[in-house]
Amino acid sequence: MSRRLLVVLAAVLLVSIAVAGQTPAPARQTAPSSRQTTPVPKTATKSWTQPKTAWGDPDLQGTWTSDDSIGVPLQRPASIGERLVATEAEIAQREANITRQSQSDEQEFAAPNARVGTGPPGHWGERARRPSKQTSLIVDPPDGRIPALTSEGQKKQADVAATRVGAGAGGRPAASWEDFTYYIRCITRGVTGSIFPVIYGNGAQIVQSPGYVTILHEMVHEARIIPLDGRPHAGPNIRTYMGDSRGHWEGNTLVIETTNFLADKTGIGLNGGGTPTSDALRLVERYSRTDANTINYEVTIDDPKTYTRPWKVAFPITQEPGYSLFEYACHEGNYAMVDMLSGARAEEKAAEEAAKQKK
Amino acid sequence: MPDGKPNLTGLWQALGTAYWDIQDHIAQPGPFFQLGAIGAIPPGQGIVEGNEIPYQPWAGQKKKDNFVNRLTLDPEIKCYMPGVPRGTYMPFPFQIVESPQNIVIAYEYASANRVINMGKPREASVDTWMGTSNGHWEGDALVVDVTGLNGQSWLDRAGNFASENVHIVERYTLVDPDHLNYEATIEDKTVFTRPWKISLPLYRRKEKNAQITEFKCVEFAEELIYGNLRKQTK
Repeated sequence: MSRRLLVVLAAVLLVSIAVAGQTPAPARQTAPSSRQTTPVPKTATKSWTQPKTAWGDPDLQGTWTSDDSIGVPLQRPASIGERLVATEAEIAQREANITRQSQSDEQEFAAPNARVGTGPPGHWGERARRPSKQTSLIVDPPDGRIPALTSEGQKKQADVAATRVGAGAGGRPAASWEDFTYYIRCITRGVTGSIFPVIYGNGAQIVQSPGYVTILHEMVHEARIIPLDGRPHAGPNIRTYMGDSRGHWEGNTLVIETTNFLADKTGIGLNGGGTPTSDALRLVERYSRTDANTINYEVTIDDPKTYTRPWKVAFPITQEPGYSLFEYACHEGNYAMVDMLSGARAEEKAAEEAAKQKK
Repeated sequence: MPDGKPNLTGLWQALGTAYWDIQDHIAQPGPFFQLGAIGAIPPGQGIVEGNEIPYQPWAGQKKKDNFVNRLTLDPEIKCYMPGVPRGTYMPFPFQIVESPQNIVIAYEYASANRVINMGKPREASVDTWMGTSNGHWEGDALVVDVTGLNGQSWLDRAGNFASENVHIVERYTLVDPDHLNYEATIEDKTVFTRPWKISLPLYRRKEKNAQITEFKCVEFAEELIYGNLRKQTK
């Protein structure tokens, strides 16, 4: 699957860059309010009880996807204010979009040669199967917006805006691979970027053994190994892109605390975009299974060097018939990087030639 | 495990120098004199049973060519996924997480990983770097049938290789709480004249709180792969 999916990397970039628009506010505020936790909570149906593994842990195993939240903006449009739950009309609109998309996908399958253009066919993307009931992925602060950046965070945001290039980021040709995101370089999308819904690669396969939970992500083939034995975090000099995770159970909820991140790499946006986080980043994720095919996922982002207060993102992930992970050999098939860099060099050469002609 | 099967969950690593050459080899200078003794190739006994790899004549020549051209051809240099069985004996640990339905092997090198399906066997739907793994228990041995490999990974830094037609059967046997016997039978009618076998012990990492960390080596290989496309400053 890698080669054909890789072609779409540039298109993914367009999606990933849609995280912006922070306004400064210097004072660090208090922890997220508890009044809004998981949106549109599902109560467990009476016929369903949380299954347990043979060794007695809540069983979350399966392959889950955030597909149903594709298209839900990370940040809520300011005009919607503090309303987290979508209106009936908004949900109906999403439902209509899903139907239309499905019909268009079927047409592409029926007549694959009828499509025009050089981009990948739409049906290569993953699709929501039912309409999300949220107006934003961010559920706290109550306005659904990324909190104000600290002055350090603002500086990092400006640095990234000045240096990063690529599809959707303006026409400046890339001087080197270092001008692209860690995702485009096939290094990582980070923890949150690996589960936030985008056009594809939204799957998370959970495998449990006594003492461990593993979460596998298709994109960039991440494997998070999460010990449950209460051991301390690795020493402060052990730093990684995906952080150092420790898990425990609170009732039937899996709680994962992750620290020891490398500084200034990925951000908390789609595909790891957005303002790069600092070495102080601490994530607390909660996986709560509410029925056979649904887990409510939420993550609290606390990075006092970057954000003026903690914030929280939540959405359901679901199990779907026929949905499984494939090997995504991103780096091995990163022809796009060679193409983008050789294109940039060719553009420079053409500009030089044109300048010579004028003289 | 509660089902009576051995629990292979843990952090494991091979010793030895098979990652340089799966056959017997003597110490040799490395390709870059600047690295001195650090860059030299350590000697070691091989892991191939009988020490002979039964290459067909063309394939024996290709192995030699691979070695000569390894700085441009070895997929490890470019941080490509190691494939099976190479990931097993690289100088990095790997984590096994065993559940009754699936067994994950997560290699520290390049964040490569694979899921061994312990349920009804599934045919490889597409060729991949890490292949399609179906497992079952034979007594206390985990037996893994690996197909769907893409043939692009090598077996070591000496240029040993197989093709996309390779079929590998691995056996992981827990001989005591801290040692696994690892065996792999390698069959590829397009490259070898007969099936052959490697075997080596795997050691449980016993350091207090030992854990896998991260060797995302892409950024260490980008200058090598893309350096000729970097903007030249005049």
